[in-house]
Amino acid sequence: MPDTSTGVVVIGGGSTGAGVLRDLAMRGIDAILVEKGDLASGTTGRSHGLLHSGGRYCVNDLAAAIECVEEGRILRRIARTTVEDTGGYFVSVSEEDEAWEPRFVEGCQKAGITCERLSVEEARRREPALSTQVRTVFWVPEDGHLDPFYLVVGNVESARRRGAQVRTYTEVVGFTRNGNRVSGVLTRDAMTGEETSIGCQAVINATGAWSGFVARLLDVEVKVVPVKGVMVILSQRLAHAAINRCHKPGDGDIVVPGLSVAILGTTAVKVPHPEVLPIEWDEVQMLIDEGAKMLDGVTTARAMRAYAGVRPLYDLGAEAEGREMSRNFAVIDHEERDGIAGFTSIVGGKVTTYRLMAERVTDLVARRLGVSTKSTTAEVPLNDREDELDQLRHRPAQVGVPKPHGEELALQPLLCECEMVRPQDVEPWMKDPAVRTLEDVRRRTRSGMGPCQAAICSYRLAGRLVTDRGVDGRTATRAMADFLETRWRGVRHVFWGSQLRQAQVTTGVHLELFNVDRQLQLEGDDPRRAGLYTVPVEVEAVGQP
Amino acid sequence: MRFDIAVVGSGLSALIATRTLQRAGRKPVLIWPGLSSLYFLYATVDVLGYANPTTAEVVEEPISGVRQLIADHPEHPYARAGLPALQNGSSLLLDWLREAGFNWQGTLDRNLLLPTATGTPKPSCLVPTSMAAGDLHRNEPIVFCGFDGYQDFVPELAAANLSNGWNGGSRNVGAVRVPLPGVKPDRLFTSIDIARSMEDATFRRAVAERLRHAVKDDRARLGLPAVLGLTHDTDVHLEFEKETGHPVFEIPTVPPSVLGLRLFDRLRRHLQETGVEMIWAAPAHEAEVANGRCLRIHLKSAGREQPVEAKAYILALEDAVDGAWRAGAHTVRDPFFHQVLAQHATPGERTDESLFAAQPFAAIGYPVTDRLQPTDRDGRTLAANVFVAGGGIAGYDPTGIKARGGMAIATGYRAAQEAMAA
Repeated sequence: MPDTSTGVVVIGGGSTGAGVLRDLAMRGIDAILVEKGDLASGTTGRSHGLLHSGGRYCVNDLAAAIECVEEGRILRRIARTTVEDTGGYFVSVSEEDEAWEPRFVEGCQKAGITCERLSVEEARRREPALSTQVRTVFWVPEDGHLDPFYLVVGNVESARRRGAQVRTYTEVVGFTRNGNRVSGVLTRDAMTGEETSIGCQAVINATGAWSGFVARLLDVEVKVVPVKGVMVILSQRLAHAAINRCHKPGDGDIVVPGLSVAILGTTAVKVPHPEVLPIEWDEVQMLIDEGAKMLDGVTTARAMRAYAGVRPLYDLGAEAEGREMSRNFAVIDHEERDGIAGFTSIVGGKVTTYRLMAERVTDLVARRLGVSTKSTTAEVPLNDREDELDQLRHRPAQVGVPKPHGEELALQPLLCECEMVRPQDVEPWMKDPAVRTLEDVRRRTRSGMGPCQAAICSYRLAGRLVTDRGVDGRTATRAMADFLETRWRGVRHVFWGSQLRQAQVTTGVHLELFNVDRQLQLEGDDPRRAGLYTVPVEVEAVGQP
Repeated sequence: MRFDIAVVGSGLSALIATRTLQRAGRKPVLIWPGLSSLYFLYATVDVLGYANPTTAEVVEEPISGVRQLIADHPEHPYARAGLPALQNGSSLLLDWLREAGFNWQGTLDRNLLLPTATGTPKPSCLVPTSMAAGDLHRNEPIVFCGFDGYQDFVPELAAANLSNGWNGGSRNVGAVRVPLPGVKPDRLFTSIDIARSMEDATFRRAVAERLRHAVKDDRARLGLPAVLGLTHDTDVHLEFEKETGHPVFEIPTVPPSVLGLRLFDRLRRHLQETGVEMIWAAPAHEAEVANGRCLRIHLKSAGREQPVEAKAYILALEDAVDGAWRAGAHTVRDPFFHQVLAQHATPGERTDESLFAAQPFAAIGYPVTDRLQPTDRDGRTLAANVFVAGGGIAGYDPTGIKARGGMAIATGYRAAQEAMAA
């Protein structure tokens, strides 16, 4: 007997898995999502956040471009608080770029992408930072910015409200089978090592770049090629709209403004494993050099950190490599292909088309389960009501803004000043068993993502681990240190200019004022610490003399 | 503008150098590059907490520790400055603090062990008296006290860490939290807001009253975030101890730090009131050198460059914090002599993989002569009448050994002596 049972187990807590979980829940199918790390901690949370109009793919990959057009329009309806309608420009900066233009215009027409040619003067009037190297400009109003963390959390919370469950830090280590039919999964808690079995009628493998590893547990092959992409975050937004280079998609040819920052993307390098994602200096340098061809200020703005993500490109068997490979997706029916019933993989694709991918795979699985309900994910907004997920774009108003004349609105306390995160934005996550580390809190609230990279809020969050979650002192301090170390790993790659100054403040607070380096040295690596993050317990009053 | 001796910098080394010159009857001008980050980095004067950045054993006697450090590492900034500079500079600082109305204590013979805001014991040498009761060499129980809605000091975190091993553990450490009178917890307030309010006797007595009720153990010392007054802190601390009936000690918090604010605002003002000339918010750069001497440096003031001439110059910059270095992706240069101070194949080389280890970037600075004059990489003096103090010296990294204050004092004092002799 399994420890617990459900209808469908969804493996993978990225945008696809989260979308599948919601789709299943909305069709009334019981489901549990298991994710070996945190939600949005793999590919999704490490994307650049460009909501593709389709312009980038319309020449080489028309099918993918058409999907982007349709899904972009749907997301603007159902996920309006996670999408910022920035619009985008496609700019030429060389003769080769200009040669690409007729193909780009034709591709846009074929895919149904709205595209308007602007004079450079007009474009620069709208977007003053456009570089002097820019020769021609197309306005593509349906490019946008998508907050990948809010997208995943929005889908998962919507599913949870309908009874679905989510288990983070839960890795699938095996399957149970009944003849040729999958009857459940065996999972292991990544922190405590505890093993659990979940019985189910179907399993959906939505693990993207990790799909091959999961399929291999059933001796089935799924060929996914992990392709690394490096990005650099600037502390200023620089542009109102997304800026794309109008040429054959290549390295360093997009700048995505999101909230208060801009993200330079990206590179494409095949890697041996989706978790081996070294950030090379050449890549960082190239992103800045290429970005500067399109936008002024890229070289002088403060680069805050660099990070790497992995694309889950599905190998359709063609000779294509890296960017040549399709950004399209495929549903693999393993019953049909491999004779294993109850197991389905969804591979390839990209964040922009996550919903369609989820719908397609859920269609198949629902049919097999005898459920005829149609998907409604394209119609019902992610936040079925006006709830906390609405707040991202309204934070400044909620936090309080001092008025230059007349009455001053009361300023509310902030937990993270850089990203305007209030204590009440963090509170619910402290009680959520799916949240185990301060990085998990960051993904859900944005705290620690601003210019100071958690120098201040990490202390306040560590305090909340003690007061709101009953975590012991050394574990809370270790959690604070782990959080800062994770931020530091990204900061190190762009360590010049005022970054030195910021680092000195961070070390001044944590090493000098707090002496945390000595506390870590004295304790060494405590193997118990990971396990102590796990379950929120009642807050115990600290003993008083 | 012509001056006797120009001191550039906003850190403790700049203040000590200026005061040393003033006491010797010279006419220094203090040039502040901008808003001081001392507010972040200073609360106490740490002379030597640990013999090296990776040892866990606390140095009990800072002065012997520094003597040993000098013997072991003749290139260390402490060795360059010399032990007498630390001793004389410390006396000068303590006298100055007294004259400026501060109540500080401590000697170079002994480290105190004070709990930080994370509840971690930390060795410190010269400290405000308002912090001294926290010394963990004493045995009385400790109750950490916080305020509802105030996030920058979490008494429960401090208690949970300190009780982990210190003096009988949790029996002797506790945490309480009280609401601040008349403060709605949904209203933003900072350490500075509370510190200002604590100067109001009615407010302060109400806080004391609440804490008296919350703390059950009559023998306990109370550990509070550093919020006991902004300008009348000595009185506020004394009164608050009487009003609560407990010994009370302050603990430095995340920025904005009230301790740093008190210290530097008041020392700066004291210099001004006693006739020292100051130039504000004007980053200096560009040294004009002829015949081995600096003729003038230039200030970036509003609208135009302003040359400053002096007989001698002291560059007392807190390295990165004062924006002293020009760090490109590969090369770090100084703004005065355009020297290449460091070159790196990648910017990542300036850092350690761990934030909690010694950082290579912190040690970037000028190589200096025995008299603290800056040299090029081949050891040639750049200007005979320029002297370096504080973070501008190569190899200057007080973070891991917890020596920020002591190294600033020793080098600041020594640079002033040399400048007077130049």
